[in-house]
Amino acid sequence: MQALRKTFKREMWYVLFLVPGLFLFTFAVIVPLVTGARYSFTSWDGISSKLTYIGWDNYVNAVQDSDLWTALGNTFKYAIIMTVLVNVLSLLFALLLDSYLPARNLFRTMFFLPSIISVVLTGYIWSYNYSQGFPKLFAAFGMDVTSPLGNPHYALFGLIVVAVWQGIGPPMIIYIAGLQGIPGELLESAKIDGAGAFRAFRNVTLPLLAPSITINMLLTLTGSLKVFDLVYVTTNGGPSFSTEVITTFVYKTAFSSFKAGYGMAMSMIFFVVLVVVTVVQVSIFRKREVDL
Amino acid sequence: MRGTKIAVFALVLLLAAVFMFPLYVALLMSMKSAKETFDSFYALPGSLNFSNFSHAWDTSKYPEAITNSLIVTALSVTVIIIVSALSGYAIARGNKPFYSIVYLLFLSGMMVPFQVTMLPLYKLGKSLHLLNSHWGIMLIYGGFGVQSGVLFYTGFVRGISREIEEAARIDGCSTPGIFVRIILPLLKPVTATVLVLNVLYIWNDFLLPLLYLQDKSYRTIPLQQYFFFGQYSSDLNLAFAYAVMGMIPIVVFFLFMQRFIIKGIAAGAIKG
Repeated sequence: MQALRKTFKREMWYVLFLVPGLFLFTFAVIVPLVTGARYSFTSWDGISSKLTYIGWDNYVNAVQDSDLWTALGNTFKYAIIMTVLVNVLSLLFALLLDSYLPARNLFRTMFFLPSIISVVLTGYIWSYNYSQGFPKLFAAFGMDVTSPLGNPHYALFGLIVVAVWQGIGPPMIIYIAGLQGIPGELLESAKIDGAGAFRAFRNVTLPLLAPSITINMLLTLTGSLKVFDLVYVTTNGGPSFSTEVITTFVYKTAFSSFKAGYGMAMSMIFFVVLVVVTVVQVSIFRKREVDL
Repeated sequence: MRGTKIAVFALVLLLAAVFMFPLYVALLMSMKSAKETFDSFYALPGSLNFSNFSHAWDTSKYPEAITNSLIVTALSVTVIIIVSALSGYAIARGNKPFYSIVYLLFLSGMMVPFQVTMLPLYKLGKSLHLLNSHWGIMLIYGGFGVQSGVLFYTGFVRGISREIEEAARIDGCSTPGIFVRIILPLLKPVTATVLVLNVLYIWNDFLLPLLYLQDKSYRTIPLQQYFFFGQYSSDLNLAFAYAVMGMIPIVVFFLFMQRFIIKGIAAGAIKG
């Protein structure tokens, strides 16, 4: 009887320990998600206190909204190019820094530094480098360049350059950690068997790096699909919709155009897209990983 | 072999120069006058000149913004650490299915992007009078941070042997006593990870303060900078001086905590 009471007491403490965490989580994530889902079925403007339910109308309209598809297209274009560039470059940087390089910790710090600066600052610094610095630099070589952010054809790529500059740090660290986990004997024996540097990389390093590649691809892709700050502070979707991504589009619809119900429906569609992308990506990459 | 090494070093040096270039320009701009910038954009300033900084200090509310950022970050990170450690310990030690369900709940919550919940969160904050208050934004950051926090702490506590705890229990120590006296001192490494990752995120966050701290006197550094740039977009040198001032605290934090940040990111990758 006493043993039972003791177990019960211990269990009670564990549950009590969970209460603050569950409370905060419910408050900041679950309640907004549920109310958001509810709003998506209303014609709510975001201000009035009356909610009118209109069934699936918002979703039907959203699917037929060509602006939403353009924004989704921009978002995916941005995210896919980002994922490829960031991973290729950060892996390259990691390989360079993993070799016996003098002052490699200093270089690691320099490559990581842009990641810790706020996106507002980054956007500002780059906007001026684009509009004033680079044109003057290239003018010295007789070339005439204008800011890519002002040109609808190049604006998205202009933003990608900024985001790559700022996004190399964390994946690079993850790749360095992954490279350090590869036993030196394996590369040594590949060399003895006559494999060149490229074949050793292709057949030994890359497969063993698969877990790092999985996590980095996932983090960059989902992170880039959610991009907001950089677009909001630099181009704000312009010029002529060329950099409008899904998050800025939803923000404008919900907060500036007073179509909160509609904006929430688009958010929910975006949420589903994000979950599908994550699940598909994880299942593809997990299959390719090898165990050491 | 020697030739390759020199080539690699030269390549890395070049990459580093390209990477540092935008920051160099920012620093350069902040030290020059408008006339010097007009005459030559990339030339070094004629003399060390800090007048832009003192001017920016006077016109902006920099000390106020720093204080707000410090309060919001410190409050939120403290809450995240305490709450996640408690929950993580309970999940790691409780062996009923209930705890696994709670663990999965926290995990799946990480899939919900903030952009999806921002409008309801704003409405919630408004109706509960949590806007324009450090406590209100702390609750939201707490709810966000606890998800990954629980992940870190649960994994760490599972790696701690139960023997000491059992011995303490036989000696009559209660569960809170065990947590405070035995577990807490062991949690330092994982706490460092949770701390640095959350400090970097919260200090630089823009969107949540944009929604929650709209009153001028509550603005954090990124928000303050956003409005300052909008206001002084014609006075480049002043705006850049302010930009450099805004960079200093987080760069100092980074340089001092670099070891933990590197470890934290690597650890986070393995957990994910």
